[in-house]
Amino acid sequence: MGAAKKLSSVRRDWRERDVRVVLAALIVAVATVATIALFASQLQSTLISSASSFLAADRKLEAENGIPVPPEWREEAERRGLKTAEMIEFSTMVFGNDNFQLVAAKAVNDDYPLKGEVEYQLGEDAPRQVSARGPDRGNVWINPRLLRLLDVEIGGSLEIGNKALTVSGLLIREPDGGFSMAALAPRVMMHSDDVAATNVVQQGSRVEYSYLYAGEESDLNAFYRWLEPRLEPSHEWESIRDGEALSQSLLKAERFLLLGGSLAVLLAAVAVAVASRQYAMNQRDTVALLKTLGLSSHGIGQLYIGRLALWGLVGIVGGLLIALPIVWMLNSLVADLLERPVDFRLDILALTPALMTAVVSLFAFAYPPIRRLRNVPAMRVLRSQPGESGREAWLDIGIAVVAVFGLVWLYAREVSLVLALLGGLAALLGILMVLGWLMVIGLRRVSGGGNAWRLALVALYRHRRASLSQIAVFSMTLMLACTLVLVRSSLLDDWQAQLPEDTPNHFLINIAPDAVDDVEDFLQTRSLPLDTLYPMVRGRLTELNDQPVKETVSKDERVGALNRELNLTWMDQLPADNRVVDGEWFEEGQRSGVSVEAELAEKLGLKLGDKLGFTIGSDKVSAEITSIRTVQWDSMKPNFYMAFPPGGALDAMPATWITSFHLPAEQKSELNEFSRKFPTISVLEVDHIIERIRSIVQQVTQAIEAILVLILAAALVVMAAVVSATLQDRQREGALLRTLGGRQSLLVRSTMVEFALLGFFAGVLGVAAAEAAVWALQYRMFEGEFRWHWNVVLSIPLISAVLLSVFGRLQLRPVLEVSPMLLLRRLE
Amino acid sequence: MKDQTTTTSDIAGIMLKATNLSHRVDLADDTLTILQGVNLEIKRAESVAIVGRSGSGKTTLLGLLAGLDTPSEGSVELDGATISSLSEDDRARLRAQRVGFVFQSFQLLPALSAIENVMLPLELGGHENPEAKAKDLLVRVGLGERLHHTPRQLSGGEQQRVAIARAFAADPIVLFADEPTGNLDNHTGQAISDLLMALNREQGTTLVMVTHDEHLAARCKRQLHIEAGELSEPATQNAPQAESIA
Ligand SMILES: Nc1ncnc2c1ncn2[C@@H]1O[C@H](COP(=O)(O)OP(=O)(O)OP(=O)(O)O)[C@@H](O)[C@H]1O
Ligand SMILES: [Mg+2]
Repeated sequence: MGAAKKLSSVRRDWRERDVRVVLAALIVAVATVATIALFASQLQSTLISSASSFLAADRKLEAENGIPVPPEWREEAERRGLKTAEMIEFSTMVFGNDNFQLVAAKAVNDDYPLKGEVEYQLGEDAPRQVSARGPDRGNVWINPRLLRLLDVEIGGSLEIGNKALTVSGLLIREPDGGFSMAALAPRVMMHSDDVAATNVVQQGSRVEYSYLYAGEESDLNAFYRWLEPRLEPSHEWESIRDGEALSQSLLKAERFLLLGGSLAVLLAAVAVAVASRQYAMNQRDTVALLKTLGLSSHGIGQLYIGRLALWGLVGIVGGLLIALPIVWMLNSLVADLLERPVDFRLDILALTPALMTAVVSLFAFAYPPIRRLRNVPAMRVLRSQPGESGREAWLDIGIAVVAVFGLVWLYAREVSLVLALLGGLAALLGILMVLGWLMVIGLRRVSGGGNAWRLALVALYRHRRASLSQIAVFSMTLMLACTLVLVRSSLLDDWQAQLPEDTPNHFLINIAPDAVDDVEDFLQTRSLPLDTLYPMVRGRLTELNDQPVKETVSKDERVGALNRELNLTWMDQLPADNRVVDGEWFEEGQRSGVSVEAELAEKLGLKLGDKLGFTIGSDKVSAEITSIRTVQWDSMKPNFYMAFPPGGALDAMPATWITSFHLPAEQKSELNEFSRKFPTISVLEVDHIIERIRSIVQQVTQAIEAILVLILAAALVVMAAVVSATLQDRQREGALLRTLGGRQSLLVRSTMVEFALLGFFAGVLGVAAAEAAVWALQYRMFEGEFRWHWNVVLSIPLISAVLLSVFGRLQLRPVLEVSPMLLLRRLE
Repeated sequence: MKDQTTTTSDIAGIMLKATNLSHRVDLADDTLTILQGVNLEIKRAESVAIVGRSGSGKTTLLGLLAGLDTPSEGSVELDGATISSLSEDDRARLRAQRVGFVFQSFQLLPALSAIENVMLPLELGGHENPEAKAKDLLVRVGLGERLHHTPRQLSGGEQQRVAIARAFAADPIVLFADEPTGNLDNHTGQAISDLLMALNREQGTTLVMVTHDEHLAARCKRQLHIEAGELSEPATQNAPQAESIA
């Protein structure tokens, strides 16, 4: 290999420490961004399919009017490449051995479910199994409680209408097990081909036809555009992201991943910038020599561009080699958690940000200082030239800022994110300038002495430019890392708070007024704490300001809420997780008025003072809106669209009571006794849904933790890059100090103090900027509430002080181990 | 000016010519004049030592003569080309073809081995077989056994020998040296000067050298004194001493 060629070989480059740092920074950057992007895309598809399985499909069309939709709709969907499935839901009596019971029947065809699985058992003690379809023709799977209620056995038979069906399994969980109040009775799942033979479903009987669709997002949307003009008011189109309990969490997780990726991009850029600037500084002698030996500046340019390209390649390949196994590991983690295989697919598109990160950080950050190498005067070989402090041109900084934020924006497509980070960084630089000024004023008068503190302060002052830029980089790094840690913990807290351990997982519905005391007794003797009992009256919203509601509310804003019966209640206390956003909650003794849920109010355009008319059975009730309140739909507690004050218009209506409570898994068998004792009370089991939400949240949490570790690793690389950038100068200084007779212990102590001070200042600044960024992010992106994080605010400056003084101590090691003479020679 | 310059009538015999050379640098609040009105002619295959006190401007002059820097005023002609008015890249090309350098601090690239350091100018000059030539040169400076050692593995004297081999590699017609023995002990310095002079004579190179070493200066055909940026040439010291490889 020729010497000139060898000048640009990676192996040779690797021998140079600055190149190693640049390459390490690039590799970590590409690895982090690629990991996040790949994993996020993987996670997203996994999560979407998990979420889809809440519908058992990507979209669902419900016909609540008891009339099947025209078969052409299905043909049209299939013509557009969508998969379809159908199901029919109805309430009916089933007959077992001498017993009968009202059940919620669900008849599904062979294609059900399109997403997710049905979980069932072949006996009460048999292992749980999953199936990609429902029961075969002639068979039913039933809620385990029905075994007792009907006194049947697995393999036995029960009758629905005119048809006898075999009980072939126990239904544990349906993929679309979201709960609607209509499905109060225990579930029986059957095949849709058997429905006709039962003869229980006739035109107009209370039956709901549902149609499931799955496929590409674009096809689904196109189909909906076709379908929309054909829909009738009783048709309801549902998509996964509509108000699912989970979607909010998913959205936040997605944003967190984006934030993490963006921070990785920023960190990488900083590391590459610092290391390549240092590299360029150290290359000046080589460039001067090459020029002296006759290489033109064009040749120099080519040499270094070639080298940059090579680095980019190494960074990308190296980064991917690290990222792929990590992604693979994360995926198997997810697979373990979901207890099903996750197919690993390499999303090439998801790699784009990683490649862009490498290319942009090389060309916006590494290139400018290296390009300036062309201007190094050849004269430098004879004597060092003044005016080469290597200060960056402002233009370079401008380009760099534009580049990196362009990158973040490209990556996250979230202007508020870019602005929050930019604002945080700007705040940081502002404070830094003030600090620099204070430093110049405050430290000017400190003079050296045999004291480590004084020496350290003198050193800080003497190297004030370097000290400030180090503080700038450290604090930026700390800010980015802290931002991520803070957002992560508030995100996790949020989720934790959403579904605490004792989240109610069973609802008791349809409790007759005279049974309330007995139910309370029953649960209390088994030490099962009961949530508040709410009265419930079912009624339709029929009038708005004395006009029929169907006329007042335009077709666009038609909501399912108008087509079905709403749950009305009365209560005197505002539930703890509800919040009044407009108007006033009922006063003590107030008898009139109604409080409306905020989303519904918005959809229907309801305002304070509007008069609502309800039809309850054959009665009419009307009330004026006195407050609008938000409701925590994902709290797994009874929630109501409409709340009246006690003693108001609703009191005279026939009410039943509803409540929820937490039943630990090991006490599950108590339910059988409960059902026997209170056969008319419906028990709605949501424990499996909660379990599932928990597992998904946990999965996202794991991903977030993994990504956090990667980002922190990137932050450490940046720190190391910065510290090692000053290594040579420091070692030379240390060696000189020793030569001049400085005691080792003094040298060690003053260096550690100096770095501790650097770390402390950087920590304070970084945390302050992070809090600012988190405040902005929390406010704009995560819709959470901002809290000060005192533990972080107090601990980070200390941690960073300790960390940096240890870094400083490590740097000194070679200075202390060898004789000063040897060192000076080596540093020539 | 004395006899040497005035007796030269053969223009083709002049290798290096500086006319009214001045160099100034702008400092923060005033201008520092480093060289002032320097005139000088050096003939082909001549050896010239530039001596003077530290800070007198020797290195600056050498840099201007070699075309590493451009003067504030005046011109420099090297082998008939006015290098002071060439662009930086043209000067670089000229250096690659005709100029060799030896420095006080050796200036080897630490990442390249001895032979690679010597090959570098050969490759830049587009030489046919750089490796063979570099090897040959290293053998001639007595480093035949150390071809693949990197500078860090060599002593100062050995490094300087590599640098000398590199300086002669591209068959320069002018060799510039700035205190080539400045970083070496007496004995090694002696050996290095011997090597330098011997190679210079063998190749018929013009040698321009800055040195504090009186012995080395005395071995050159001419000595130029520089003081506070002004050049003078003592008439007395004219008889060259015997030159030989020790
Ligand atoms: N670019 C510059 N900026 C400021 N001053 C300069 C510059 N170049 C040279 N000088 C000054 O010009 C004077 C001559 O410098 P030069 O390096 O030529 O001296 P020298 O004769 O080689 O000294 P030495 O023997 O110590 O190497 C010195 O005082 C030096 O400080
Ligand atoms: Mg000098």
